[in-house]
Amino acid sequence: MTEGTRAAYRGPGSVVITGAGAASAYGRGTDALLSGVLSGKPAFAPVERFGTTNRRVHVAAAMPGSPDLLTEVARAAREACDDAALPAAGRARSPLFLAIHGDPALARAVDADQPGLGPDAFTAAVADRSGLAEQGLRCYMSACVSASTAIADAAASIARGRADRVVVAGGYLVEPDQFALFDAGRALAADGLVRPFSAGRRGLLLGDGVGAVVVESQESARARQAPVLARLTGWGRTGDAFHPVQPHPEGHGLARAVTAALQRAGLAGADLGYINAHGSGSPHSDPAEASALRLALGEAAGIVPVSSTKSLHGQALEASGVLELIVTMLVARKGMLPVNAGFLGPDEECRLTLVLGDALASTPEYAMSLNAAFGGANTALVVGLP
Amino acid sequence: MTTPTHLASPGAAGVLGTAGLQAAAVAAGLAVSASASLPETDYDAEVPPLAGFIDSPFSPLIAEVAGRAVSRRDQCCPRDQTAPHGVVIAIVLVTARGDVASAAQVAARVDTGRRVPPLHFFQSVPNAVAGYLAARWQLTGPIVCVSGVTAAMDAAALLIEDADADEALIISVDLGLTGGAGHRAAAVVVTGPTGRGADRHGPEGAA
Repeated sequence: MTEGTRAAYRGPGSVVITGAGAASAYGRGTDALLSGVLSGKPAFAPVERFGTTNRRVHVAAAMPGSPDLLTEVARAAREACDDAALPAAGRARSPLFLAIHGDPALARAVDADQPGLGPDAFTAAVADRSGLAEQGLRCYMSACVSASTAIADAAASIARGRADRVVVAGGYLVEPDQFALFDAGRALAADGLVRPFSAGRRGLLLGDGVGAVVVESQESARARQAPVLARLTGWGRTGDAFHPVQPHPEGHGLARAVTAALQRAGLAGADLGYINAHGSGSPHSDPAEASALRLALGEAAGIVPVSSTKSLHGQALEASGVLELIVTMLVARKGMLPVNAGFLGPDEECRLTLVLGDALASTPEYAMSLNAAFGGANTALVVGLP
Repeated sequence: MTTPTHLASPGAAGVLGTAGLQAAAVAAGLAVSASASLPETDYDAEVPPLAGFIDSPFSPLIAEVAGRAVSRRDQCCPRDQTAPHGVVIAIVLVTARGDVASAAQVAARVDTGRRVPPLHFFQSVPNAVAGYLAARWQLTGPIVCVSGVTAAMDAAALLIEDADADEALIISVDLGLTGGAGHRAAAVVVTGPTGRGADRHGPEGAA
């Protein structure tokens, strides 16, 4: 248990995930996502969606063409509901928690149009196109922990019996404004690859990421004889209280999130068979995360296989939490753990048991997905095989 | 560059004020221990700039109104953050449109091929000012940003109930449209109905 840790509680209900939908540079659908990450081939390529002539970096992981965010998120939500065998009447009773940066139309809207735009209007439009409930909509805009926070909130609410089912979706499609911001902040990897926990890592690269999951009470899933992809057994959310944009250098906040998630799941660190790390590939963030895992897991940090699939599909910002949880579920079910791509050599500050070279054949009973964000916000989610 | 933020008149209609936040908190079963709003008096015509944040009043508004609420909470009930399990306060931001001023400036620069100032990268998400608040006031709980007050209160209630936080600082902010009523912000500090969460369970399968 980490320093300053206190007991984390949860409601008594069991929470499961009954459906998933996704889109990434590997294509649309969870099958494309799974085969893409298990190929071990990073999806980064020169950006063709918009001009990058004034930028330092010219690479991202993007689908062909210029897909529309609303269309893609709604499609993923429908895919998740189809996967969950959720009929139209059930969808119409399921609220949507959506993780996005904001309404993409707002920044360029004239004043007269602004009152009709915004994250609530965008969320309502996704719900409408997906056949989801008109009530209970939420939009999360908490940077790179938006989707994972939404999933944790959905799970916490279901565990306490306040909801039977929530559809959580997130979406980010590589576009010129965030690309310019990350380029200006010198956050992008100038060598064109993301190298989490590796010596010589240069930063992150953006990637298209859209994901949706149907989060449901076990009783609800059982009553309608729905398929169960995974049990959502633990979740943790913490803040570093350290700096506006830098993580705590020893990962104290993230360690507390990991510990809280394990407590809720009733697990020890050694029970984890895989960790899909936040692993942004940034010089300062990766050592903090490795330290957090050593603090929270103790000796188990030297045993549990770790990779960051951002090295493959890129950084999907607000959607990262749902995209990476879906990857974590899919690879656990497949029994193949994805490689931590781009690795050049060990960094003593990032000592972890990384999946290197090729995907690792292993079927973890429990796996964890981690995310961290500006503001020192951290999340940890634990899934178990059904 | 950085300029003082001009606010709406006290009492002007528009963004949810402390009364609205308090009503939403009570509806969610939460108790309000401190509150603040901007503007509160005629002396609140401007909000001071916040170091490191430029070109938009969004983050300075949040910093000022949240600082007032937390300092009032601390005057009322001082925290001993040296204790092993000091009071954990979550930060929940509520904004219907986000920092549209920053977003519009970035979009305009991108569309005309101009350079984007690096500081805009850091303020491109509301988490940055939340991180400032967390470090400044030692608010060690989770950080959440949502678009609606009901969602914010529900999220805060669950965080307290599940012991992720003892209290939550909930801040509502939105920028006025050009020629509109001006910018407004409000903040409340809430606790669970018994001061701490009740009816706790865990872990998975143990109930």
